[in-house]
Amino acid sequence: MSLEGTGEGSKKMSGLKRGLALFAIGTLIAVPLLAQVAGPDYGEFGIFGMDRRDAVWMAAQLHLLFAAFVLGVPMFAVVIEAIGIFGRQERYDKLAKEFTRLLLVAYSATAIWGAILVFFLSTLYPRFWAYLTAIFAPSMWLYAGMFFLESFTLYLYYYGWDAWKKGVAKKVHWFLGIMLNVWGTIVMFIANGWLTYMMSPPADVTADTAPQTVQVWSAIANATWMPINIHRLLANVVFGGAIVGAYAAYRFLTSESDEERAHYDWMGYTGNFIAIGALIVLPFAGYWLGREIYEFSQQMGITMMGGFMSWLWIIQAFLIGILFLTGNYYLWIGMGRIPGAERFQPYIKWMLLVLVLGVIVWATPNTVIADRDEIAAMGGTHHPFLGVLGVMSAKNTAVNLMILTTFLSFLMYRRANKEPVVSWAKMGTMLQGAAFVVAALVVLFYGIYGYFVSAIIRIGFSVYQVAAVLVTILFVLGIDIAMVRGAKSRGAIRWGQMPDRSQYALLILAVTFTWLMGLMGFARSGIRQHWHVYEVIRDTSEQAFTPALGPAATMISTCVLIFFGLVGMIFWLGGLAEKSVYDDTSAAESGH
Amino acid sequence: MWKANFKILMTVVMTLGVFTVVSNIIPQVRSAVPELIVINADMTPDELAAIGENVYLGVGGCTACHGLGTRAPDLLGVAGTVCTTRDPELTCKEYLYESLVDPLAMIVEGFQPIMLDQSRTLGQPELWTLVAYLESQGGEITVTADDISGALAAAEAAEAVTVTEAAPMNPGDIDPLNLIAVNGCLACHAMDGEGGEVGPPLGDLIGQDLAFIREGIVNPNASIAEGFEAFAGTMPPIFGDMMSPVELDVLIEFLATGTVGAVSGEEESNEDGN
Repeated sequence: MSLEGTGEGSKKMSGLKRGLALFAIGTLIAVPLLAQVAGPDYGEFGIFGMDRRDAVWMAAQLHLLFAAFVLGVPMFAVVIEAIGIFGRQERYDKLAKEFTRLLLVAYSATAIWGAILVFFLSTLYPRFWAYLTAIFAPSMWLYAGMFFLESFTLYLYYYGWDAWKKGVAKKVHWFLGIMLNVWGTIVMFIANGWLTYMMSPPADVTADTAPQTVQVWSAIANATWMPINIHRLLANVVFGGAIVGAYAAYRFLTSESDEERAHYDWMGYTGNFIAIGALIVLPFAGYWLGREIYEFSQQMGITMMGGFMSWLWIIQAFLIGILFLTGNYYLWIGMGRIPGAERFQPYIKWMLLVLVLGVIVWATPNTVIADRDEIAAMGGTHHPFLGVLGVMSAKNTAVNLMILTTFLSFLMYRRANKEPVVSWAKMGTMLQGAAFVVAALVVLFYGIYGYFVSAIIRIGFSVYQVAAVLVTILFVLGIDIAMVRGAKSRGAIRWGQMPDRSQYALLILAVTFTWLMGLMGFARSGIRQHWHVYEVIRDTSEQAFTPALGPAATMISTCVLIFFGLVGMIFWLGGLAEKSVYDDTSAAESGH
Repeated sequence: MWKANFKILMTVVMTLGVFTVVSNIIPQVRSAVPELIVINADMTPDELAAIGENVYLGVGGCTACHGLGTRAPDLLGVAGTVCTTRDPELTCKEYLYESLVDPLAMIVEGFQPIMLDQSRTLGQPELWTLVAYLESQGGEITVTADDISGALAAAEAAEAVTVTEAAPMNPGDIDPLNLIAVNGCLACHAMDGEGGEVGPPLGDLIGQDLAFIREGIVNPNASIAEGFEAFAGTMPPIFGDMMSPVELDVLIEFLATGTVGAVSGEEESNEDGN
């Protein structure tokens, strides 16, 4: 069976994409020159009730979502291809190719929204755009060069897949995948330099500094540049995994054969596994970014965490609560198709209880906005009971216990159909259980002890809590890998025999991840408040204020809806042009 | 097929709908662009009161105590009326102004003497806009152009004053408890069971890094103690200028150790260097 779409359709599409990419790059380079022309500070915009900021916001958000996808997918496409090569499992190779096919069609959308963003910036914010280009022009040329390299590497990687599939040629092909990631990462790092400069310009840059005198490297390597780079790198993996999961869910729900369902069930599981796995590491990158923001400007940090944005973190907690609950729910449903998983069923209700309590604690506000009577009734600005839960000691404890619980779900899922045969299996399981208990006790101990020490000491406790959880995860996983080697199977996983609601859970995960990205983008950008470049270039437009959460949420939802609409169309068009790469060997192989 | 597509669409739309609704029903706070306050003698009473309201709600930090019902009298809606009943020798305007610049002499019965002289943190023109705003709360605004002109002239004169350097003091002659009293620290911070709850208790500072305490006094908004985020910005960054360097050292030393004379300046500078 031919696994690929062929032909002319694909070639025509690639030509179109190349054209769009050239168009976007041409725009990026040409518009700085146009922007040098003297004129008003701001251009006019008024379509569909949107103002100039809405227009830029929407274009930037959609460009970023597609860009995150085309950066995140190659990361695990190349990892999965490596598993296929070195593990000699062809189904992984096919899966990597199917991921890359999604990447290809998303590339043009990224270029289109990038071009729209540049047009909006240059026409609606001409003076600010001229300021940025005066500083960053050399890096924009480099960006364009990297974009070309990335494009052509992608085409070689995808279209050379079948031509270079054996021996040394296959390894060269895999190397192309690595280079695709390298170029894409450099492109992202350069663009991150521009946006982080707006947040945290170098200390010697003031309102009186001529942009031509600012050193490009000093502007790029600003205080928040590297934390944002790492945070986005990880977030892109999460996002890419979630979107692949959503794609698999879409194909599962619309498939017409058991083989197809089996393939997409497995694909959805793999995407979700990668997304949740990377999500667990993401908060650490977030802490680093937060710390750098505080170190750059205490005022900015306070605006972010304790100022008008403080309620944003309650919404974030609500979203992450949904991610944890939905992610675990998906795993628990999935255990229904694994022989031997029945023995873990009684524990699920307790794990659910821990997760629900964790979400409740995490989403408890520290202070509440109250009127005089309410404050008087509470005896202060802090609620007598909820105020105790709304502090970091309680929240850190809750989130660490939620991470441990989620890891336990993964472990149960992984162990469900395996029966270890090593002589030390019982001892190993006991050690794993003990590690969980010790980690939970460490987390609880420092959580409670935190109430009895000063804030400066309490902040350090979060490190011990996180370290306990991470060490436990590594320790338990290490034992598990050794213990299940050569394990007896209780039966193959019945891929495809999943209720539809599991696939809707994957869709909710993807939508929530995407929305969370929009929300965090709003937080990062919003803490600049009425500054284009923080305390250097003031926003003097009518939209200089930072909107409240409600209007921001409406904008984010609109962008996410448009994004998923376009992604759905891309999936549909992809389905018209090409056949799926699944084959009937997938289901049989994937029972291992 | 179409049924599945419709369900998928509805899943996406409903998930987004929940997020949007939840985000719209929580308290909505918009970050406004700070306006440059320009005060001149030609302003109408209402314009002065409008500026005074911003001072009251913002930089003045008045709401940290007034309006909570226990720490200081409620002012909104009544200040312009009760001001005429407090002291028969003073007009409403005079009473309110005196309450701002000499608050300890005007303490209302039943409340603690915790308010600071507001002229330490606000200029004379801002003080008069505050008076105008408080008069507007149930009364008639009587602040005039002469008051504002006089305040502006006073502010201009204050800028022209040459400050003569004071002679260095002997640390042993300085009583840190007196510094705490005259600077009104207990208005917001508790110590030995007395004082406010707007900031963390002073006893929490024992054992803390000296540089950390110094920053908390000189630049109080640089970091906000956990649990006190709601009061961020309340403490004015003026105390570093209100005390001499020697007084500041003595106070920091006292706060860090709970005793006088335990830590030398040399040790502190070592910690600063870390």
